Amino acid sequence: MRRIISLILLAVVALGIALCVIHIPFGAPKTKVGNYYIDKGREQTGATNIVTSVVVNYRGFDTLGEVTVLFVAAIGVSAVLATLKKKFQKKIEPPSLVLNAGCRFLFPLVLFFGAYIFIHGHLTPGGGFQGGAIIASAFLLTYLGCRGRRISESRSKLTESLSGLVFVLVGLIGLAIGGHYFLYNFLPKGVLHSLLSAGIIPIIYIAIGFKVGSEIAGIIDKLVEES
Amino acid sequence: MNFIHNYIYYIGAFGLVFIGIYIILVKRNLIKVIIGLSILDTGINLFLISIGYISKGTAPIFSKIDMENAPMVDPVPQALVLTAIVIGVAVLALALSLAIRLYHHYGTLNLRKIKEQRW
Amino acid sequence: MVNPVLLIAVPLGLSFTIPLFGLISRKIEKYVPVVALIFNLVISSILIPEVIKQPINVFIGGFQPPFCINLVVGPVGILFSALIALVGLLASIYALDYIREGAKQLYHMLYLLLLTGATGVVLTGDIFNLFVFFEILCISSYALVAYLGDKAGIESAVKYLIQGAMGSSLMLIGIGLLYGLFGTLNMADIASNIDTVSSISIFVPMVLLITGLGVEAAIFPLNAWLPDAHSSAPSSISAILSGIAIKVGIYAVARVVFTIFGASSILQFLAILGLLTLLIGEVSAFCQSNIKRLLAYSSIGQIGLVVFALGMGISYGVVGGLFQLISHALSKALLFFAVGYMIYRSGSMDISKLEGMGKQMPLTSFAFTIGAFSLVGLPPFIGFPSKFLIIRAALSKQELLFTILVAFVLLGTVIEGAYFFRVVQVLYFKGNHTDLQREEAPIPALIPIVILMVLIVAIGVYPKSLTRMLNSASSELLNRVAYIRSVLR
Repeated sequence: MRRIISLILLAVVALGIALCVIHIPFGAPKTKVGNYYIDKGREQTGATNIVTSVVVNYRGFDTLGEVTVLFVAAIGVSAVLATLKKKFQKKIEPPSLVLNAGCRFLFPLVLFFGAYIFIHGHLTPGGGFQGGAIIASAFLLTYLGCRGRRISESRSKLTESLSGLVFVLVGLIGLAIGGHYFLYNFLPKGVLHSLLSAGIIPIIYIAIGFKVGSEIAGIIDKLVEES
Repeated sequence: MNFIHNYIYYIGAFGLVFIGIYIILVKRNLIKVIIGLSILDTGINLFLISIGYISKGTAPIFSKIDMENAPMVDPVPQALVLTAIVIGVAVLALALSLAIRLYHHYGTLNLRKIKEQRW
Repeated sequence: MVNPVLLIAVPLGLSFTIPLFGLISRKIEKYVPVVALIFNLVISSILIPEVIKQPINVFIGGFQPPFCINLVVGPVGILFSALIALVGLLASIYALDYIREGAKQLYHMLYLLLLTGATGVVLTGDIFNLFVFFEILCISSYALVAYLGDKAGIESAVKYLIQGAMGSSLMLIGIGLLYGLFGTLNMADIASNIDTVSSISIFVPMVLLITGLGVEAAIFPLNAWLPDAHSSAPSSISAILSGIAIKVGIYAVARVVFTIFGASSILQFLAILGLLTLLIGEVSAFCQSNIKRLLAYSSIGQIGLVVFALGMGISYGVVGGLFQLISHALSKALLFFAVGYMIYRSGSMDISKLEGMGKQMPLTSFAFTIGAFSLVGLPPFIGFPSKFLIIRAALSKQELLFTILVAFVLLGTVIEGAYFFRVVQVLYFKGNHTDLQREEAPIPALIPIVILMVLIVAIGVYPKSLTRMLNSASSELLNRVAYIRSVLR
């Protein structure tokens, strides 16, 4: 009964969406807003990765909101699992030598790769979120391979708060000086294709990289601790 | 045939969306419902990306010196999908932690049996 | 002139610093939301006179719209922002003493972020930004409903999360379709180009957006999560959810329907849906024996009334609807604050256990009575001018359909009066407990209760203090062309 109603509902919705999607041809020519970003992106923001300039500079407010959403989720997971009383203690089987040594060898390499991705966010594909996810996967590798090691919770909370604060402060500094616009790109734009270019974009992406990495690692740590 | 070739990305994305919605509406196990939520998010992200495609376009990154007039895809949907993926991950993390607590309280993950709060 | 972006940036920044304050001393953490909300209230009040003359447009990042995100601070936005700051401030003062268990630092962070998300939704002028701030609001409320960690709370939070997440995903599909059709995400830009595409391809994104936002706005039939969630949350959070979160959902629906789509054809359908919500909410509340569930169903009923008022599409109706929003926010917050400590003292949420509270907690019971009478719509409280405006607006339309609907609205009010009088009777007149001592609620709980009582009586006696603000707010909502012109000059 429930299946039949769901299928009928989905058929109606599918018909409606199909009637609308017909008017959006695949591969249509450029839209006005996209056109503007590609043409003027490099000179207005100084970054060669146009997606980065859209994410951090043109639509930076959305990125601030997204960073906040992840922050809320990390706090929410801690708050929900805070009053949980563990029912039984499982014995942790020690990992084998090959697994242990391999994970300890790979851990700094993966961290380094993640840092490379978020530092070069304005030049190559990548950025803060991608780099942060790679850093969190390095911590996940440590949990899976060398079981029994945990990250320090207070230090990860401190990293989260400080990086979030850096993002908001950079925006407020842009408000105070240079133009009275929140998130205004007030640092010099530099030379294209070089590492120190694009004004505030590398600073914001480094802050986001640290924040996302420590947040997702914190979520993984909380979930591992409870199981 | 040409019609299918033009719209295959939309059909694939919405196929995932409808599979996700069907799972959420019909399945009984909470973990399966959460997986359905994740499939729904993946389908929507795929749909958003495929809206931004320009024919014969390449990634909007000026990596070489002489890429002035190369056609590029629309960068805005890529920024939207970046945000949407992160929001999807956030909801998923919260849902899984709630599922852990629910299991500790009730001993089962069957949604038909977790109906303490009636009318 | 103060930049309105501080209304969002300062609470956001302060919520990031709460763990840093926690390192210094655990006791000052709970005062940070109070400070942030006092700041918000002051800034909103300062901006009100300027905004009534001319809406303020803030461009984030220094570019021109539609190539940037912009905040449109009009009369509606600043009114809602002031309401959010006021109710949030009172609930944070209430929570100074009410929240005693669980991870308190995390509660205050989540609380401040919920209010930041709500302020962001009402001030923004870009539809994807609306989605992002809406998600901040929703995810904080999922976590706060589950804050106490008891059986009822976790079950309600799971159901709320699944329905809310599905609603948000439908909203995202709608936003994707809008971008594919118009190529821009700015609300004013979409509104100015709305006639260039066929009406069926406009209908689908509109329905998806209304459905997605309607889950949070608790329109029938999308409100199955509300009775569980509002009754299982801690009382300060129930006040915020009933008082702010649903209102912000209604604002988003109104913004989408009036400003972006300008759809007058769907308004009648929304009015009937609102009436259905009203009747179902009031009748369900009548059958309840759990006091918080009764208040939650009453919230559903009142929101139905607001949707009915907004669905009339005329200026009087929108003014009445906005007035009803404010009156419900203040009255329902007062009711939840009073009930919070009554439940704490008597130990259960059953109505029959609240016998004799009139003697044991006289000020709190008096506050409950004032809140109940105000919600029903008796003079001289704030509920009377708002309901009067709605009924007068419906009668002024001079259509048979609306006259019949007004009869149903009055029926709903009568049912509301019946169940509230029953609760007041239990508080004061049931049983003879002459041996009970006076054991009033503590001071941090009494301050917001007294302030709300004063506001309810003051605005009820002198509604003209709000009507100038509400008139300009209603004309901003209904006047699409002025909105588009003020953004895309």
